[in-house]
Formats: sequence, C-alpha cells, structure tokens
Amino acid sequence: MTDWRTIDTDLLVIGGGVAGSMLAIPALEAGLDVTICEKGRVLDNCGSVGCGVDHYLTVMESGAEWDTAEFLMKHIPTLTDGIVDLDVTRRVLEEMPRILRKIEDMGVDFKDPRTGEYSRHPSFGLPGAYHINFEGTDFKRRIGKHVRAGKATLLMRTMALQLLVEDNVCYGALAFCFRTGEWVAVRAKAIAVTTGDVNRLSMNASGLAFDSWHFPFNTGDAQAMGYKVGAQLANMEFTEATLTPKGFSAQGLNALVSMGAYFLNKTGERFMFRYDKKGENARRAVLADAVVNEYLLGNGPIYVDCRHLPAEELDHMEATLQVDRYTLPAFYQQKGVHFRDTPIEVSISELTIRRSGLYFRGSGLSVDTTGETSVEALFSAGDCATVSGGIAGAAVLGHIAGEGAVQRIRQRGNAALPEIDWEDANRLRAGAEASLTRDSDLGWKAYEDEIRSTVTDYAGVRRTGKGLKLALETLQALAKKEDTVKTDNLHGVMRFQEARNIRLNAEIMTTAALARTETRTRSAHRRLDYPETDEANWRKFVIVEKGGDGVPTVRTLDATQPLSAAFARTPNAAAGRIEHVS
Amino acid sequence: MSADTKMATAGTAAVHNPIVIDEKLCIRCNLCDWICPGDIIYKIENDKTTMPEVVYPDECWYCGLCQSICPTEAITIVFPDVMINNKSDVVRLLGKIVD
Ligand SMILES: Cc1cc2nc3c(=O)[nH]c(=O)nc-3n(C[C@H](O)[C@H](O)[C@H](O)COP(=O)(O)OP(=O)(O)OC[C@H]3O[C@@H](n4cnc5c(N)ncnc54)[C@H](O)[C@@H]3O)c2cc1C
Ligand code: SF4
Ligand code: SF4
Repeated sequence: MTDWRTIDTDLLVIGGGVAGSMLAIPALEAGLDVTICEKGRVLDNCGSVGCGVDHYLTVMESGAEWDTAEFLMKHIPTLTDGIVDLDVTRRVLEEMPRILRKIEDMGVDFKDPRTGEYSRHPSFGLPGAYHINFEGTDFKRRIGKHVRAGKATLLMRTMALQLLVEDNVCYGALAFCFRTGEWVAVRAKAIAVTTGDVNRLSMNASGLAFDSWHFPFNTGDAQAMGYKVGAQLANMEFTEATLTPKGFSAQGLNALVSMGAYFLNKTGERFMFRYDKKGENARRAVLADAVVNEYLLGNGPIYVDCRHLPAEELDHMEATLQVDRYTLPAFYQQKGVHFRDTPIEVSISELTIRRSGLYFRGSGLSVDTTGETSVEALFSAGDCATVSGGIAGAAVLGHIAGEGAVQRIRQRGNAALPEIDWEDANRLRAGAEASLTRDSDLGWKAYEDEIRSTVTDYAGVRRTGKGLKLALETLQALAKKEDTVKTDNLHGVMRFQEARNIRLNAEIMTTAALARTETRTRSAHRRLDYPETDEANWRKFVIVEKGGDGVPTVRTLDATQPLSAAFARTPNAAAGRIEHVS
Repeated sequence: MSADTKMATAGTAAVHNPIVIDEKLCIRCNLCDWICPGDIIYKIENDKTTMPEVVYPDECWYCGLCQSICPTEAITIVFPDVMINNKSDVVRLLGKIVD
C-alpha cells in the first residue's frame, strides 16, 4: 500500500503511560525491537500521571507481619467484595517488591527527604501501611527516560484504531497520526494495549466534558479495540467516582482525608461514622457512597473540614497540595478559599470505568497471570485490565505482561506474520476520514454529550432494570448516528474516534449492569430494583464479549475461578452460562 | 436530552480561554505544544515569529503541564467561573428514576 507507513516489529505497545512504559522494558532488555504508539508527544510525561503522583501502593517485605504478599492476599476477597481474579492478583502482589526496586533503580526516590525513610500510611481501608507517600513529580519522567534509553521506535500523537487478528491470534494494529494525517500499519509478534481507563462518560458539577478527575484523553480505546476483535472483558458494570472540590474534578481530597480531615454535612454533623466504623478512613467506594447518600437525604452541601488539624500537618499539606494535581493551589487561590480556615464544599465526580474504588478488581480486558488476554499474543495491563491498582498496579502488571510478551515473541519465532488485508484497512481509513467531508449538523461534541447525559440519567450511580434498558436503547440508537457525525480536521477525527469508543464502553457497561441483578460495592453498582448484595447467586464475574450479531453478550463465571478459565484458548475452558441480555 | 441536563453539558456556554500566554515573556520554544496531553496548544515549529495558539480551549484538562514546563513562566491557568464559583445542584448528577 503506497500511502500507508508500514512497520514490522517484535512488540507493539499501544499507550505509553505507566503500564505501557513498564511493559516495554523487559522486551528492550531482551534486545527485542519495540514500537510504542501513543497519543501524546513526549513519552516522559504521557498519560494520567505526567504531572506527578504522591502515593504508591506496595508490599515491601520490610519484616512487618502485614508487609507480605501472603498477608495481603488473605484480605483480598474482603477488600474486593468477593469478586477479583485471585490468581492474577497473587502474581501482582508477589512481584511488587521486585518491581519497586526496579523503579528505584531508574532513579525514582520513594523516600521522604525529611527523614530518609519510606513514609508509609494505611489508607483506603487496607490492612496495613501499604501506601508510600512520596514526592513523585518525576515518577513518569524517570520511567519514560529509561524506555527512551532503550531505543524503542516512538509513534507519537498517533492514535491506534484497530487491532489485527486472525484465528484469535493478534498480529498488529492500524493507527493514524492526528497532526500529520499519516496512517500506519504495524505488524508485531506481540501487541500490548495499555490505554488506561474510560473517561468523559458522565457529567459532573462543572458540566465541562474535559474537567475530569481522571485523564480525559483516556477513552477506553483498548477495551473497545479488544472487544471488536473478540477479546473478553470483565467487571465492566462497576464504575468509580470520587469526591472532588466542587467545580473542579481534581484529586487532592484524598490527601486531606488521609491526614485526618473530617466530612461534614450541612448541619455540621461528622456523618461518616454512620456509614463505616472506620469513619473517614473507609475505602474510597464507601466515602463516595456516603456522600451520595447524604446529598439524596437532603443533607448537602457536604464539606471537607481541616480546621482541627495541627499546624505542622497543615503546613505539610499546603506544601504538597500540588503534587497530585498541579493546578489545585491555583484553583483554591482563584476561588478565594483556604482549607486552613474554610471547610471546602465537595461534589461527587463524573464516573470512570476503572476499578470501582477498590484495589485489584480492575474493569476491562481479562488477562491471565502473564498479562495475556483471551486473544493470543494480545497483552494488557494498567487501568484497562482486570487487575489494577493505581501506578503500582499498572507498573507491576505492566512489567509482568512485558515478560509474558517476551515469552510469546520467542515462541512465535520467525514464523511469518499474516498479510494485512488492505481492503479492510482502507475501509477503516475511509470510514474515519468520511466525517471530514460530510454535510451534517451533528458534531462529535453534541454526539458525545448525549452519551454523558444518558449515562448520568439512566446508568450511573442509581440503576434500575428499566433505566438501564432505556440507556441501552439510547446508546444503540446513537451508534446508528455515527455515520452522520461531521468533523472539521484531523484533531476532530481523533476526538470522534474517542467518542465512538466511549459510546461502545458505555454500551458494554450498561449490558453488564443489566445482567448483574444485585447491588455490589455500593454506588459502583447500585441496582435500586435489587438493593441487596446476593452472595448466593452473584459471587460471579460478569463477562462481556461481542456476540454474533455484534451486540454485547454476557456470560458469568464463578469468582473462585480465574478469568482465564473462560478463555477459548485455555484448554478445558469453563464455558460459563450464556445470557443474551439485549 | 432533557432541558436541565442540556444546560450542564459542555459546548453550550461561551468558550473560556484556560491558558493565558504572556506575549512579552514567551520565547516561542514550542514546549507547551509538545507537552500538552490533549493536543490543545499549537505552535508552528522553528518559527520565532509566531505565538503558541490555544486551539481547543474547551478540551483543556486544567492539568497545568504546559505551565509547569514553560521556561519563562509565560503561562497562567485561568479557571472559568463555572468551576471556581460553581452553583450546580449535585443531586442532578445522581440519576433519574424511571417508573
Ligand atoms: C492526576 C492524577 C494523579 C494520580 N495520582 C496517583 C497516585 O499518586 N498514585 C497512584 O497509585 N495512582 C494515581 N493515579 C492513578 C494512575 O494514574 C493510574 O492508575 C495509572 O496511570 C494507570 O496507568 P495506565 O498505564 O493504565 O494509564 P496511563 O498512565 O493513563 O496511560 C495510558 C496512555 O495511553 C495513551 N492512549 C490512550 N488511548 C490511546 C490510543 N488509542 N492510541 C495510543 N495511545 C493511547 C494515553 O495518551 C496515555 O498516555 C493518578 C491519576 C491522575 C489522573
Ligand atoms: S512553553 Fe512558554 S515560552 Fe515556550 S512557547 Fe510555550 S508559552 Fe512560549
Ligand atoms: S492545562 Fe494541560 S490540558 Fe490544558 S492546555 Fe495546558 S497542558 Fe494542555
């Protein structure tokens, strides 16, 4: 094909954030040829944490009883409300100390400069002080630098649109650069999709689509691309929201809460103990849920109050406020409030599909203990995979998947990769570019707004069978409108492809939510028509795959089994129960 | 879409400019364009006569990466009124019940 750039490589990594960068490292160390395709321009700052981080969850084997993989593993079922891939989680926990040291070797300093020690804290209901609080401004920069030193081929400002799969084996992907309009076809012996979580999915207080707690440029592209080629997804019914300063969907409240801030309702009541005996130290899902409930009870506005904290704690908070979200000090300053002497009004954020406020139960592409998905040679890690946990989860599973990919590449050896079907490739390209010349009033923004209002109103924090069906109908009708959306330039083409992926993820989420006829993990999946958690019938994964008619199909799998037990490529795969929910 | 949800969606309000660049301080180095994760800022490369342009102001994440990287502190992030002075009803974000 004359006007396609073609690349043959050993490993193609799609998404150069934390997981993707860590995934590239074992392959580079093994001397393999690695190509990274990424929407950003500078690898050192790409992804959710380009601006910095402030906490890292890890087992360290420091000698404390709680500080082992085995100890934490015992608590995993409770911490994940009984639904998590235990095999993959165990592997991640066991690898944590090794990967921590590896990242330290790249130059990340996890120690507190004031003490020269690791500053470890118990938070989010974990049974030990697993979080290291640290000054992580250059966390991603160090990892990116390490990858660049390994001389990977970088395809920047390039969005992957489609995976290439033959007989359930992946062999590449098609992508386009939204600054130059160049189309790229990459063939590889192993492919990794590490494009993060699903954002721009529902509405928040400001109503601005890109004002989001999480990275608004992660739009569930891996989940959508994987789904289309038959990969298995799980836990997609669970969503996650957080508490934010009202008007700015930013992180930063967690740090205040972990240092001892209180939640107050409009009467000044410190209400968290009504919801959890740990009060403000409860899991994130519990905190968000309690605030939702207080608002519904008419007890809003809700505030976070720091006034009782000792001066030195407040000084420290003030000094570190910008670490997790660089612009938070400017926001408070322009707003004219200060948490030292004013309680901060909070809102519930928009939803994201990621890991339902719990550690280790990720929502997205199912992976086995080597990070491989149900499609052979297709790997995944980070916020788009079924085991995740912030930067540490992404780094550790990313590295595991990188090692898995190296194995797969060696196994594939020098066998020829399939030829690309150029007719198909050109069809995809023409379809994406058609929006540029269309005569239509419907722009991608209006199209995307409709997804957000549908999810907010009918598939968000309070779900019912009727509401979910209505949402599903609306989302499926919206798919039919894709052929009428107009874009103005390459940037618009990219945004429209993101919007399509958001819609598909919303459809998958709604289908899974309709299947799970119980409530689990509070507002992560609350069915008003099934308000109780049903341990007898629902200690199960909801698995979603593309059905023969193109519509999402649901299976369930007992949660005592690993998700890979339902992979077609696994010998003696457990079939699970097939349910068509549409 | 119902009227009240429509009100809160992006694109209906006048577009606010989140990134104010001081022309006197800017040395036209391109870093803000390169670092922005959202493809929001465009600057013609190797051209000291043109300023960076905030082409997609309503797609800004307010992350401040551009500001943090700017070598001359030419960039100020300005939050819109709807963010710093937000009056919206949080209950509206909590869904509708279908009978
Ligand atoms: C501001 C902020 C602060 C945070 N702080 C912490 C913290 O202190 N500790 C913690 O544990 N967690 C933190 N998190 C969460 C953490 O960032 C994520 O869990 C983690 O980054 C997940 O890694 P990932 O690789 O899956 O996604 P990311 O790091 O977001 O990487 C995904 C990458 O994929 C790219 N991409 C997306 N789609 C495509 C496509 N179609 N083609 C090509 N490329 C694509 C994106 O540009 C992005 O670079 C924070 C998140 C945010 C937003
Ligand atoms: S980074 Fe600063 S100096 Fe460089 S082009 Fe942007 S605004 Fe100008
Ligand atoms: S604040 Fe962030 S998203 Fe907005 S223009 Fe600057 S770098 Fe881009």
